[in-house]
Amino acid sequence: MKHTDTTFPMLLLENARRYGRRVAMREKYKGIWQEISWEEYLNRVRYLCLGLLRMGLKRGDHAAILGENCPQWIFSDLAVQGLGAVSVGIYPTNSKEQVQYILEHSRSRMVVVKDQEQVDKVLAVKDHLPELNRVVVMDMRGLRHYEDPLIISYADVEAMGRELGDTESGRFQELVTQTAPDDVAFIVYTSGTTGPPKGAMISHRSNIHMIVNGLQDILHFTDQDTLLSYLPLCHILERNLSMCMPLVFGYTINFAESIDTVQENIREISPSFFAAVPRILEKLHSAINIRIEDSTRFKRLVYILFEPVGKRTAVHRMNRQRPPFQWLLLYGLAYWCIYRAMRKKMGLLNCRCVMSGGAPIAPEVLAFFRSLGIVAVELYGLTETCGTISGPHHIIKHGSVGEPCGAVEFKLAPDGEIMVKGDSVFAGYYRDPESTQEIIENGWLYTGDMGEIDEDGHLYIVDRKKDIIITSGGKNISPSEIENKMKCSSYIKEAIVIGDGRKYLTALIQIEYENVGNWAQNNKIAYTTYKSLARSRDVFELIRDEVNQVNETLAQVERIKKFKLLDKELDQDDEELTATQKVKRKVIAERFQEEIAEMYA
Amino acid sequence: MTAPSTLLAISSLSMRFGGIQATKDVSIRVENGEIYSIIGPNGAGKTTVFNCISGIYRAQAGMILFKGKELIGMKPHKIAHLGIARAFQNIELFRGMTVLDNLMSARGPHLEYGLLRAAVFLGKCAKEEVRNRDAVEEIIEFLDLQHLRKSPVSSLPYGLQKRVELGRALSMKPALLLVDEPVSGMNLEETEDMARYLLDINEEMGITILLVEHDMGLVMDLSDRIAVLNFGLKIAEGPPADIAANPEVVSAYLGQKQAE
Repeated sequence: MKHTDTTFPMLLLENARRYGRRVAMREKYKGIWQEISWEEYLNRVRYLCLGLLRMGLKRGDHAAILGENCPQWIFSDLAVQGLGAVSVGIYPTNSKEQVQYILEHSRSRMVVVKDQEQVDKVLAVKDHLPELNRVVVMDMRGLRHYEDPLIISYADVEAMGRELGDTESGRFQELVTQTAPDDVAFIVYTSGTTGPPKGAMISHRSNIHMIVNGLQDILHFTDQDTLLSYLPLCHILERNLSMCMPLVFGYTINFAESIDTVQENIREISPSFFAAVPRILEKLHSAINIRIEDSTRFKRLVYILFEPVGKRTAVHRMNRQRPPFQWLLLYGLAYWCIYRAMRKKMGLLNCRCVMSGGAPIAPEVLAFFRSLGIVAVELYGLTETCGTISGPHHIIKHGSVGEPCGAVEFKLAPDGEIMVKGDSVFAGYYRDPESTQEIIENGWLYTGDMGEIDEDGHLYIVDRKKDIIITSGGKNISPSEIENKMKCSSYIKEAIVIGDGRKYLTALIQIEYENVGNWAQNNKIAYTTYKSLARSRDVFELIRDEVNQVNETLAQVERIKKFKLLDKELDQDDEELTATQKVKRKVIAERFQEEIAEMYA
Repeated sequence: MTAPSTLLAISSLSMRFGGIQATKDVSIRVENGEIYSIIGPNGAGKTTVFNCISGIYRAQAGMILFKGKELIGMKPHKIAHLGIARAFQNIELFRGMTVLDNLMSARGPHLEYGLLRAAVFLGKCAKEEVRNRDAVEEIIEFLDLQHLRKSPVSSLPYGLQKRVELGRALSMKPALLLVDEPVSGMNLEETEDMARYLLDINEEMGITILLVEHDMGLVMDLSDRIAVLNFGLKIAEGPPADIAANPEVVSAYLGQKQAE
């Protein structure tokens, strides 16, 4: 087991020496992909780090980062860690109250923010944050008239650091050698589907151990890989992919120009590895479905004819077998006829692997990507285990999250709860020993997820322990499995299955506004807003057909007997979704109790 | 900012269309670096003033001095060369062209190559195009249009077309920007975005803005000074607070609006 006695800033020094002028990052600016070499990467981190030092940030302090993905986000992260301080990521979509909670709870002394939008949030709550003494702003646009003494521009901090770096050239190296593997590198605030977010402390050792001894056996990265960074960086998944793993493997990371251009940027970069949360993959899948429905009859026919070919060869590939010659031939034909074009359209032409993580995904969605000839894997993990517990190491099974990885000891509790132990288990929740004790016992981490292991050692996730529905008939049902099946439909964006302690299952469904809107236009159904669309009788019929289709694949007790369409879109600002767009069941059950009661009337 | 100096001075501007007196003896001084708004009920002559400034109409009497130069009688393209850009009320973009092409087209006044050089696209011409694209990219970033570079303008929703219209005017790098009803027909969110862009243009780019707008909230929030026109006459001028308190203005304009 190599590399586990190091820290991220040390890895940066090493990579800058090893790779020098090789490209570490690309950022699209003014319509052109601008490159940042490993050398420059190091220098930018060095100057910022020394600048923060001059502003009084010291070992053991906490500093937060708030904003969308960009190279400066990563520079700030490493600069803070280089001082032996702890960096805390905050979702740019968080409301000012949520920002206040995290800044206050993490005792952040400084916060690096991206732009005016985020500055406004921090300044609005600064009176409640006595410990906060500096706000470093990356993009000063629109801040000309802000005279708050807290504000300082990112460029000014860098300039201060450069001055110090020029006079004391070895200062940064000195600071970095003082960082220790067991230091907490960063705190990741969990999305908090129940209660306020908790701050998981991740040490350098835990995370690097997970990457080197766990993830690598599953994902096989090299320094030739290219990735696009677009998921929120404060989430452990993107943090690993954009900050931690490039430092270990030396691959190149690309930053999308803006949130609206992600699709276009993927096409331009054509990444070799594409990691996504289920929502994104579902969306890609339904977008393709819609396009095929809208295309010419001939094209639709070709797609339908080749569908079994893709599915058949995918099964062979998942088992790591060479498909029989005639199927290979047919697949070649299918590839050049349609699959290549489809992959190009999605930007996945050069993609060797699509990875899903962050939440459970419907196996059908992954099967779709596999039929296009892309390796699609689902990984399972928690923030508290640095992101990973299991993933397919060799063969891939439909619906499984693969085998437990080598970085952890793994076992199932008698009731089926997944438990893990090892170096990659986190250091505890910050300022919350009670929660820490609840989740870790004798070194074993109780994940709160129920799992099953098959005879080949492949793990299947049943559901969150607390989410499992027990009907009044005494039957155990996993709601997320049914929900994910429904979400496979292009017309259903979100589904919440209800039925704990009830006679039968029901569901609250949020329609996919765009797709259902298109459908309504094509069928000459008038609507003005989301609300009027969701209340339309025809839309209800449309969704009923979709639900019936799903019901046919389910056992009798798992079927959805009744459902209601939500007449508002679930929103993070209304506390119905977490920052990672996960549904908060409790809040929804409370807010829509009338609708639920009607379904059981 | 340094002591204000006059950028645009309109004095005793009069314009008559047959029997209709569109503007009569209108005098306005726009100082460097300010946001100056012209308001008034429909048909008060606001757009006529704009058309006179940008050379579309030729005023029958009066003077329009921009940086000390007389504009009356000058051809519109010459006026544009002087540094006056205009964003139109009814979007006047090249509908079939992409956003990028529309913005690039506004770089015309800054081109230093001729048709012959352009035909071979060598040396100076290529360099020039890179420079122009660079300037346009700055505007694209400023107005958050990155995802629309290659979209044909006609495919965009109204609010975005308005933003492109503004972008094209900005691409000229004007000293004075004439904006004609930038938020008409926009929803609240689009209006707020537009207000932020206008403020940023004024503050970050240091461009003086002459604004015609019906949305009172927007005008009161943004403007440094306001002139009120009614039936072609200037009936008041001053900072937003004074205008809101002026009884004549209230009866002529705001009063009517409240009654609606």
